[in-house]
Amino acid sequence: MASSDALTGPRRPRPMSPHLSIYRLTITMAMSIAHRISGAALYLGVLLLAWFLIAASADAATFAVFSEFIESFIGRLMLFAFSWALFHHLIGGIRHMIWDAGYGLDAPLRDQLAWATLIGGFALTIVVWGVGYAVR
Amino acid sequence: MADNLGDLRTPLGRVRFLGSARMGTNDAWLIHVTSVALVPLTVGFVWLMLDLLHTDYNGVRAELGRPVPAILLLAFILSGIVHMELGMRSIIVDYIGGHSRTWALAANTCFAALVALACVYATLRIGFN
Repeated sequence: MASSDALTGPRRPRPMSPHLSIYRLTITMAMSIAHRISGAALYLGVLLLAWFLIAASADAATFAVFSEFIESFIGRLMLFAFSWALFHHLIGGIRHMIWDAGYGLDAPLRDQLAWATLIGGFALTIVVWGVGYAVR
Repeated sequence: MADNLGDLRTPLGRVRFLGSARMGTNDAWLIHVTSVALVPLTVGFVWLMLDLLHTDYNGVRAELGRPVPAILLLAFILSGIVHMELGMRSIIVDYIGGHSRTWALAANTCFAALVALACVYATLRIGFN
């Protein structure tokens, strides 16, 4: 019987697992990692939002400390990184919703969606910062 | 082993919490619901922050003291923090094992709860002051 052959017969060679150090990095892999990294960055970045709200709920002098920090070079850099992580994660999330619905999983489209996440994340960040600096 | 028929884990495996705890469905559901909710809420949040960008202390308090921006902010904070707590939980479970995992999971929950409380308290304080 076939089933007993499978149990007692010579072992069929097992499929090789991918060797990570020689595995070609694909854009979908890179964006999967970037989704996780941007999510972890937002986890810490939420402290900026908490600081902003606590400062605004306290007196004007406390808020001035936050204001001075966020307007400094380091503050702007952190806010820029936070906004990129937010937009990248947002678009990445929409990509996952499309995949969850069963669309865009085929070879050309899944790579295009991954590239769209990368480009869209940066584009949205630059557009929003442009609006922030232009509109007063 | 008579009580083990519906559960193929060994008794030792069960006391070590190995295998499915059958609680994953709710977590998966919550992270998906919050992710869908966060799409419009993030757009609203960014809009609100752009609005507050060139205002001072009094301007920020006046804007966040209005009901619609405050409710939008509270919805963004609460769904965002539930989402990030679940997300960090899956990162911890992927990379950390043993006792460190237990501590990391507890720290994650405490951090998320503390940040949520701080943000909600501050937002309500602005609104009700």
